[in-house]
Amino acid sequence: KLLARLEGRSSLKNLEPYLFAEEGSPVHGDVIEFHGPEGTGKTEMLYHLIARCIIPKSGGGLEVEVMFIDTDYHFDMLRLVTILESRLAQRTEEMIKQCLGRLFLVNCNSSTQLLLTLYSLENMFCTHPSLCLLILDSLSAFYWIDRSNGGESLNLQEMNLKKCANFLEKLVREHHLVLFATTQTLMQKSTNSAESFFPLKLQHETDTDYRPYLCKSWQQMVTHRIFFSKQCSPGNSKGFTVISCHLKRNHVVKRSFNVAECGVQF
Amino acid sequence: MGMPCPLCRGWLRDLGLFGPRRRASARRDRPSRRRPGTTSQPGQLRGQARSSATSPLPSPPQVSSPLPAPWGSVLGVARDMVVLRAGLCPGLSEEMIQLLRANGIRTVVDFVSSDLEDVAQKCSLSYKALVAVRRVLLAQFSAFPANGADLYEELKSSTAILPTGSPSLDQLLDSGLYTGEMTELMGAPGSGKTQVCMGIVASVSLGLKQHVLFLDSTGGFTASRLYQMLRAQAQAEEEQLEALQRIQVVRVFNIYEMLSALQELRDRLSQQVVSSTGPLKMVVIDSVSAVIYPLLGGKQSEGLAIMMQLARELKTLAREFSLAVVVTNQVTRDSSTGALKPALGRSWSFVPSTRVLLEIKEAAWEKATMQRVASLAKSPRQPTGIQVELDIGYGDVQKPNPATPPQGL
Repeated sequence: KLLARLEGRSSLKNLEPYLFAEEGSPVHGDVIEFHGPEGTGKTEMLYHLIARCIIPKSGGGLEVEVMFIDTDYHFDMLRLVTILESRLAQRTEEMIKQCLGRLFLVNCNSSTQLLLTLYSLENMFCTHPSLCLLILDSLSAFYWIDRSNGGESLNLQEMNLKKCANFLEKLVREHHLVLFATTQTLMQKSTNSAESFFPLKLQHETDTDYRPYLCKSWQQMVTHRIFFSKQCSPGNSKGFTVISCHLKRNHVVKRSFNVAECGVQF
Repeated sequence: MGMPCPLCRGWLRDLGLFGPRRRASARRDRPSRRRPGTTSQPGQLRGQARSSATSPLPSPPQVSSPLPAPWGSVLGVARDMVVLRAGLCPGLSEEMIQLLRANGIRTVVDFVSSDLEDVAQKCSLSYKALVAVRRVLLAQFSAFPANGADLYEELKSSTAILPTGSPSLDQLLDSGLYTGEMTELMGAPGSGKTQVCMGIVASVSLGLKQHVLFLDSTGGFTASRLYQMLRAQAQAEEEQLEALQRIQVVRVFNIYEMLSALQELRDRLSQQVVSSTGPLKMVVIDSVSAVIYPLLGGKQSEGLAIMMQLARELKTLAREFSLAVVVTNQVTRDSSTGALKPALGRSWSFVPSTRVLLEIKEAAWEKATMQRVASLAKSPRQPTGIQVELDIGYGDVQKPNPATPPQGL
C-alpha cells in the first residue's frame, strides 16, 4: 500500500497552467480554493479540469481519475458530456463512457454525512492509485444549517467543518492528492474590518470581494486561493476573471476566460 | 426584529401536526429508492433517529428571534447526529455501547474517527468486532460513490425535457424545462410570473399528459384562468377535464405548510403507489419568497438555515425523482440604478440552476398589453443575456405575431 502511494500518483503539473500564479502547479498536497459569487464560472472551471483529467493521453488529457463530492446537487452530467464531446476527436459513445469511467461522484446531504463519507472514501484512495484529484463542490453548502444547529457556541457550529477540513488535510497528505474546493461568497464584505472574525491580512484579500467565514482549520490548509468574478471592464472582451494567489509566496496573477460550448477557454 | 405573533401561534398549532406525524413516519420502515450517488438521509426533515437528550425542550419563545427554539425538529439534523444505540447495526450490542460510552464515544462520528486499536485496549473489546462495526456503520451512514459512466446511463433514461408550451420560452430554456433541476422565474409584481407558471402547468398537463403539483403561497392561482388557458389549447371537454385532474393545487401560506406538503409529496413518491395521481413530473412553487421573507432579517441564522433546508429538499426531490422544479421569486436592486437581482439574498442565488427574468416591455406601460420580455439570467448550458418576447394574454402563453428574433449577447 505504501509503495502504491509513493509511486502511483501521476503529475498534475499540466492541468491548467493559466489558473496558477506559479509554474509547475499544482503539485501533490496542494489545496486550492475557488471562491466567488454565483454565476462566475466556478463550476464551469471544475468541468474544464475534470475534462482535462479524464480524457485519455491520446486525446490530449492526463488520463487520471477524479473523485467529485457534490454537496448541493449542482453537478450537471449532461453539461460535462457536451464539453467532452466537443473536446474529443472521437465522439463515440464508447469513448465518452470510457472517459466517464474515470470519474466518481458522491452526493452528501449534511456536514456529518460529508465527514463520514470522507472516512469511507479513504479506502478508495488506497485501491485506486490513479485517483489523484479530489473535488469538493461546495464546502460552504452546509454553512447556515451548521450555524443554526450549533446553537450559541461558535465552536459547535464549526465542529463538523473543522473535522472535515482536518480529515481532508490528512487524506491529501497521505495519498498525495490535489484538492479543489469551491466556497461561495455568502456574505458581503464588511466595510469595517474590525467586525469580522478573521481580519484580512494579505493584499489580494482586501482587493477582492473576499470575506472569510469558514473555520480557521480550513483557511490554514489552503495553498492557493482563486477568486472568480464577472468581467466588468469594457476593454476586455472575455466574460470572466480569475485572480489566482499562491498564498505561501504571496504571488498574485490575474487572468480572463470565456465560457463557450466546449467549456472554459483562456 | 420582533417575533410575528401569528407565526408563533401557527407554530404552536402545528406542533400537534408535526409531532405525531413525525414520529409515525420515523416508525414506518419505508423502503426508500436508493440510487447510486444519493442516499436517503436519516433525520433530514423527518426527525428520525434523534436523541431526545440533545434536542432542547420547547422553551418560551424569545422576543429577539422570530423562530421558537426547537427548530432542530424541522431542520431534522441534531447536533450529535445519530447517537450510538443497541441494534443500530448488527454487532452493536448494549454492553458494547456501555463500554464505549464509558470511554467518551457516544456518536457514530466519535466511533468512526477514533483509533480502533486504542479503543479495543481501553474498552477491552475485540478489535475485529470493532472493525466490523465500523465498516457497517460507514456503509449505513455515508454516501456511496457512483461511477460516471453508470450515472450517465441512468440520467440518459430518466432525464426529460418538458416543453413549456411557449416556443420562445423554450428557446430561452434550451428546448424546455429539464427534469432534475430547479428553474427560477423572477420578476417584479405584475410582471406575469403566475401567468407564465399557469401557462406552463396547462401545457404540461394537456400537451404532455403529465401530472403537476402546484404549491400556491400567494393566493394568485385561479382555477377559472387555468380553465381559460386549457380551453384555448384543447377543444374537447374531456381532454380539458382530464388535464384539470392531472393538476394538483395545494395552498400553503407559511414555511411549515410548504415543508409539510413537500414531505407528503416525498412520501407519496417513495412508495411508488400506482394511483390515479400517476407519475409526477413537475412541481411549481409560486412563490418561494412569500414564505421565506418572514423568516429572514435580524441577526439570527435560523431563517437562513430553514431557507437552505428548503432549497436542499427541493433539489433532492428534483434529482431523486426526476422532477422539474419551477419556483418564482421577487426581484430587488442594489441601488436605485443597479441591475435587477433575485430576492432572498446571496445564499439563495446559488440554488437554482436556471434563472429567467420577466419584465414588462417598456412600450407596454401606456397600452397595458400582455407583452412581456423574458431574459436569461443564469443557465448551465446557454450564454446569459438572451431575450425573448412573450405574450401572456388571453390565450395560452405564446409567441406574439409577427415573430420577433431573440437578441443575443
